[in-house]
Amino acid sequence: MLLLEAFFAPFFRRYFYYFDSYPLVIQIAIFLTVVAIVSTVIAYASILYRRYRGSRHDKKIARINPLLDEILTESIILNDDLAEGKPVEEIPLPLEKFDRPRFKTPFARQAIIERLIHYRKNFSGDIGLLLRKLYIELGLEKESFGKLKSFKWDRKVKSLIELTAMDMSIADVNILPLTNSKNRELRAEARHAYIKLSKNEPFKFFDVVSEPLLMWDQLELFKIITTTKDISIPNFARWVTYSSNKSVVAFCLKLIVHYNQQEAVPSIIKLLDNKDHYLRSNAINALGKLKADEAEDKLVQIYSSQPLDCQLEILKAIGRMGTGKNLTFLRQEFLRSSDFDIRKNAAKSIISHKQHSEEMLGELLDTATAENKLILKHCMNPLIKY
Amino acid sequence: MEQTTIWQHISNFFEGTVFVYGVSMLLMYAVLAVLSFISIRMFQKKASYADYTKILGSSLAPGISVIAPAFNEGVTIISNVRSLLTLNYPKFEVIIINDGSTDDTLQKMISEFEMVEVEFAYNEKIVSQPVKRIFKSTNRAYEKLMVIDKVNGKSKADASNAGINAAAFDYFLCTDVDCIIEKDTLLRMIKPFMDEEAKKTKEMGEPCPECGYRHVIEDSRRVIATGATLRIANSCEIDEGVITRVRPPRKWLPRFQEMEYIRAYVLGKMGWSFINCVPNVSGGLGLFDKEIAIKAGGYDHKSFGEDMDLVTRMCSYMRNNKLKYAIRYIPTTQCWTEGPPNMKVFSRQRTRWGRGLFQIMAIHKKIIFNPRYGRLGLVVFPYNLFFEFLAPIIEGMGILYYLYIIVTGQINWPFAKILLLFVFTYSVMITTLAVLWDQITYRHYKTWREVLGLCLMAFLEPFIYHPLIVVFALRGYFFFITNRKHVWGNMQRQGFGKKPQAV
Amino acid sequence: MTGANKEYKILLIEDDEIMLKVTERILLKEGFKVIVAQNGKEALQKVEEKDYDMVITDLMMPYANGFEIISKIKGDSYGANIPIIIVSSLGNEDSIMEGFRLGVDDFLKKPIMAGELLIRVKRLLARKL
Repeated sequence: MLLLEAFFAPFFRRYFYYFDSYPLVIQIAIFLTVVAIVSTVIAYASILYRRYRGSRHDKKIARINPLLDEILTESIILNDDLAEGKPVEEIPLPLEKFDRPRFKTPFARQAIIERLIHYRKNFSGDIGLLLRKLYIELGLEKESFGKLKSFKWDRKVKSLIELTAMDMSIADVNILPLTNSKNRELRAEARHAYIKLSKNEPFKFFDVVSEPLLMWDQLELFKIITTTKDISIPNFARWVTYSSNKSVVAFCLKLIVHYNQQEAVPSIIKLLDNKDHYLRSNAINALGKLKADEAEDKLVQIYSSQPLDCQLEILKAIGRMGTGKNLTFLRQEFLRSSDFDIRKNAAKSIISHKQHSEEMLGELLDTATAENKLILKHCMNPLIKY
Repeated sequence: MEQTTIWQHISNFFEGTVFVYGVSMLLMYAVLAVLSFISIRMFQKKASYADYTKILGSSLAPGISVIAPAFNEGVTIISNVRSLLTLNYPKFEVIIINDGSTDDTLQKMISEFEMVEVEFAYNEKIVSQPVKRIFKSTNRAYEKLMVIDKVNGKSKADASNAGINAAAFDYFLCTDVDCIIEKDTLLRMIKPFMDEEAKKTKEMGEPCPECGYRHVIEDSRRVIATGATLRIANSCEIDEGVITRVRPPRKWLPRFQEMEYIRAYVLGKMGWSFINCVPNVSGGLGLFDKEIAIKAGGYDHKSFGEDMDLVTRMCSYMRNNKLKYAIRYIPTTQCWTEGPPNMKVFSRQRTRWGRGLFQIMAIHKKIIFNPRYGRLGLVVFPYNLFFEFLAPIIEGMGILYYLYIIVTGQINWPFAKILLLFVFTYSVMITTLAVLWDQITYRHYKTWREVLGLCLMAFLEPFIYHPLIVVFALRGYFFFITNRKHVWGNMQRQGFGKKPQAV
Repeated sequence: MTGANKEYKILLIEDDEIMLKVTERILLKEGFKVIVAQNGKEALQKVEEKDYDMVITDLMMPYANGFEIISKIKGDSYGANIPIIIVSSLGNEDSIMEGFRLGVDDFLKKPIMAGELLIRVKRLLARKL
């Protein structure tokens, strides 16, 4: 308190001759009032300044983009050489059209990059390649690489995004340190870039990554892996068996299903003994989608010792395999269980057996309780999807 | 003589308490302003490169059930449902609950969307008023749509519960059919859920003597709910459920509300979100983890603040089961809602809110200062108790005290004026900062005049709007204590003055 | 070739402005007539006018989504046999299946190859004859 007084009092003495005589509370109040007024004024100024800057930005973009669209449409999208099937490397680009002051500012160059990326999101194939060629010939990759050297992590992320969008290769020495960055966002983006752009061993980091892959990371990685051309797809069973990172295992299960890697089935079956029930339910789900009927008996066998989420997955898996071997098991679960979701999933799986189960369905419809009958009808109704 | 000294003590004590209270409240606001600024900057940085469209093409996107209760919304129901069906998201369903409307809401939907009654195995996980029928469309184009016709439950909570019971997906978005939702809302609001690690478990403690294994428990922080900023739709231009021009309300009462919403969401909720202490996800728009919401018992139809009540119960469920959780807010405006246009409806709404807050404090009093509930018990509830719940009471008493010392001539006018000026400038500063944060998030409104028009309301607020809120809140408390029946039945939702939306 | 395409009118529905303009130009260059709609409302109007031989549509748009527009087209005697191609950034299984169940002829996921789009358009128009 004394300290405060010693600090404030001389400050105000100059402006208020009777300031010293005020109680401390009032002195602080006066001081904070001044602070509040100053902050309010600054806030007003920044609101106005931001709006001004923003609308100027919009205007600039509105001037550049139509010009850009015209050039891009004329010389890239509707390129005559392209239409005639000339190889992309041999098509000359009208760089002189970009040779004006308006396109030379850093602002404009960034705007061009963003426009090119937008076009590439909509057009692949030869047009996409030609857009990339333009990006290189205009030297725009220098802008993107320049950002990679920035000290700000968000600039680095932006750079990586631009470079991956344009399929530019980045030297391992530049990107590998980033895959271990302390910043999570940067680390994740660097990994995505590495998988997409690295020519040798894109999946190397699956071996080393120790922290969990977030759902968002998985979504991005999945997209990159499944849409990047000429990426050599390994047998993902390797990580299912050896990885100690559960999220990597779960993610590889999804990839195995996507690529229908039947050879991975034995290693997935081994996962059924895993103690983590989430991982088990993921494994059961994958087995069902792979229609791995060699696992069917084992699934039925372990059923009774599983928690609910795994039991539901087992019921679904049997329906997906659709062999008809375990219809009586499904029927028994449908009639026995008091859990609504179990009955519903059992019913769904019985119905998905189609002609195999027609007889059983008829019998069940005749004899079931009112509620069970409703469940069956619900599952049979083509208007209800879930 | 002796009596005067006792009175003196009381008055000293009172002044001291109010002073400490006031200072800590102002300090809280300053802290929130700083925290919200940091989290908005963070969000902005990520938003500058985040590509939400990546979710669109992905088969890994989690499904979302959009749940919107409707009561006598015949005028706007078709365009509003249609606007929900055009949300950008790869995997979602829209569940409209016709909560016993007495107008043609249901008939309009049935004929417009070619709906028929289906035999639906409805599982009542949360008890609600009986569901009469469930409709699906025979037209494939509307296969995302489901309409539930139920007996009126006199509350949005009851209707929402029926929707949750019928929902197929793991997440549900709770909204109102008269809210206008921005098209990328689902993409943006699901992102915080996906930014936490996927479900995982770990083994705990010594091997169990019965089964010989170590028991496995959940070990990942789970996002249980997300929310976003809401704004007032009153003067926006709306065309068939699509906002074509955002404008601050022209009339002063809704405009005060817009200012208040911006402050509460952009400055308040974003600040809390940064330290994972979000007290409430607004009933107008919230995305929830269905499993946890059901385990927490769903909405309480008897509650006057059902949204905060549900969030509180979800948090305490997580705490009771020793699970880590988070509630996140995003600063962008995703939802526009019709604010009460006149004093009558407004007073009703705020009285109800006041009553709801009292009710929540009373029901969950065991959480307050209970370390077992972690930040819920030590931060969220104490804050709500002192700075939300007690604020109107203390303010009311303060004003009475002021009047008393004015009348008895004990007031020190120069000091009183200085203090009042201080509180006034401080509140203007906080509100102006909130508008600035909002403008940093997105440059809403077309002209700077509109922004200034909104900012200037901050100067009037302490004289006009704020006293109203205090009075209505106190009225709500009074109603709660005297347990008056809420006579307005369904009016709290219908009450938004359903005028046909301007085309 | 260019001459032969002249009589065909293609209804192009797309809410991304660039994509709309660029696709329009691509089709124009091939000699098609193009009717454009930038949102669900415009699209439904154009569908009402019943003056098109083929439809290329996006899925996510304001006012009415692509599925709704497709079902309007298919539900009418004029549109029942009109070929429809979906061009969308939605590419999950559910959306694709939903499209085909509604009776569309092709589903292209963005990013698209312009050449591919043209080949599919021409093939569908040839089949129609």
